[in-house]
Amino acid sequence: MPVLFYISSAIAIIATIMVITRYEPIHALLYLVVSFMAVSMIFLSVGAPFVAVLEVILYAGAIIVLFIFVVMMLNLGSVTAVQEKQWLKPKVWVGPSVLTLLLLVELIILLFRGSNTDMSMPPVEVKRVSLTLYREYIIAVELAGFLLMAGVVGAAHIGKHTKKHLHRFLQEEKPTIADLPDNRSEIPIEKDKKELAEPVV
Amino acid sequence: MTSLQFYGLLPFIVLAIASVVVILLIAFKQSHTLIQVTGFGMMCLVIFSMWYVRDRLPVDVPPLFVVDGFAAVFTGLIVFCVLVVGLLSFIYFEEREENPKEYYILLFLSTLGAATLTISRHFISFFLGLEILSVSLYALIAYLRTRNNAVEAGMKYLVLAALSSAFLLFGMALIYMETGTMDFATIARTISTSYSPLFITGMGMMVVAIGFKLALVPFHLWAADVYQGAPSPVTSFIATVSKIGVFAVLLRFAQAVQLQKYPSALYIFAGLAIVSMIIGNVLALQQQNIKRLLAYSSIAHFGYLLVAFLPGNAAGVQAAIFYLSAYSITLLAAFGCITMLSTKEKDAESPDFYRGLFWQNPILAAVLTVVMLSLAGIPLTGGFMGKFMVLTSGVQQQLWFPVIVLVVTSVLGLYYYLRIISLLFAEAPAAGLREKNLHPFFNFVTYTALVVLALLLLGIGILPGLLIDGIRQFL
Repeated sequence: MPVLFYISSAIAIIATIMVITRYEPIHALLYLVVSFMAVSMIFLSVGAPFVAVLEVILYAGAIIVLFIFVVMMLNLGSVTAVQEKQWLKPKVWVGPSVLTLLLLVELIILLFRGSNTDMSMPPVEVKRVSLTLYREYIIAVELAGFLLMAGVVGAAHIGKHTKKHLHRFLQEEKPTIADLPDNRSEIPIEKDKKELAEPVV
Repeated sequence: MTSLQFYGLLPFIVLAIASVVVILLIAFKQSHTLIQVTGFGMMCLVIFSMWYVRDRLPVDVPPLFVVDGFAAVFTGLIVFCVLVVGLLSFIYFEEREENPKEYYILLFLSTLGAATLTISRHFISFFLGLEILSVSLYALIAYLRTRNNAVEAGMKYLVLAALSSAFLLFGMALIYMETGTMDFATIARTISTSYSPLFITGMGMMVVAIGFKLALVPFHLWAADVYQGAPSPVTSFIATVSKIGVFAVLLRFAQAVQLQKYPSALYIFAGLAIVSMIIGNVLALQQQNIKRLLAYSSIAHFGYLLVAFLPGNAAGVQAAIFYLSAYSITLLAAFGCITMLSTKEKDAESPDFYRGLFWQNPILAAVLTVVMLSLAGIPLTGGFMGKFMVLTSGVQQQLWFPVIVLVVTSVLGLYYYLRIISLLFAEAPAAGLREKNLHPFFNFVTYTALVVLALLLLGIGILPGLLIDGIRQFL
């Protein structure tokens, strides 16, 4: 389906450009979801339904939920409730919604076409994917495991808090990063640094 | 997996187990010395198992790997470098603010990545190896996470390496689109009949990624900052292990598809080599910071190395391996000296640390002198023999222009290497405070290792035949 392919590619590109130009992380994440779904649509339109589903489950599902979770954790405090109200203006959600609607229309068109006569190649079955992964390329899967281990150990080290910090309920009230309106999108490393720079109580 | 394949992969399995063992050790007993000694033992085990399976090579492990003598040489070199880097790390991290335990996990994981590169004959293993290497390096570079320099260097490396990975993947995808396969040998068979612009574009994009990893000139912008910001042992790791791994896979890919047969590829690599040699040396001329100076000099050295890569014959490969070995020993010794001179607060990078070093610490000054002479390519050192072999292989193929540039820029390089040597023997300032020797055993071992490295450098400079015969035996 060349037409559907090009439409979803265009959506993917637009959404990704929006991701990197947004100021608020949450807005960027909304577009990121759209971008992932557009990529998944591309896979579907070229006859790879399994990869398309994986794309939605893993990226649009799990990874984005993690992202949003982290962003929510960074925004602790009562100020954020007001902010969230501000964020939910129509101009924020209209863009992603329109793009998503376009993708939905594409999906419906694809579904109602029924047969995959338009596709240039036969769809790849789940069974073949799993057999290839766990038979021929088993070492690659194991190496990917080591790759994840490197990522986890590295992130755990970089993101680790120093031990002398008390639990946040036990700490004395002091202005934290989350309360400052301009620093909402600070990444954790810098937050750490700022706290270290303050005189230790 | 047959038992033969298992034996072939044994060294790499041991290498992978090393990182798991370190994690388990951290869970049970958090002793830096224990982890250090175990890690050392595991690396020795890797070399031993490589020696053990040596007679069974080459072993083909389709579709991803082939373990042959070529891989054995490069893996041996990598593991040797990691042994030294690990040794340097003890003193360095024992005195620093960060808990050094995760460091060894990441170190061994990135070694695994580099070793995977040396045996890969497929784009998937190539990419996975490269990613394991880079992902561990992001964290290693920013390991001292309270220092601004380190975080900046880590961030810079992260962004640029991710970008270069994107280039690599795109290039691979284009080549896959053209040939329908990701296996080096099959690609070679397919393109021998049809040779299209799509393949050239894909190759070009892969060159960008490889150029980034080797810090060749248009892609060298990260080198100085990362070399400076990373902890000294990690810098020596980047300068040796990561580059050896990437160069190994480049060499294997080039051999498989006979890259040098295509004039366009030859021109691109010749251009990269020439520009790297010139710009690397010119940038180093006025550099005062010794870590940055070594970064620029490493750019130039990989330009020299590419001259040996250009002919694409057996002599070129031997010259390249010899050059890489001499270069790795040199840089390990250099960063060893920097590590030993570094104080708790900052790394020994400003020239003040080295002024009149000979009168305070003659051993380190002597080692550094040998290192600088070898980097400059003065006879009787390994660096000279390496350069000589590179020149021979270039002259045999009548690559006049790169060879002339090599000679001229080597002369240029003399200036800044000799400047450091003159600094070492300069008038001594008022005697600095000698820090207390906290770890007499490890201090002694590190000094011994540095002296051995320097002797090795002189050894392969005087009797290069031993090393060349060793390399030939494996290839």
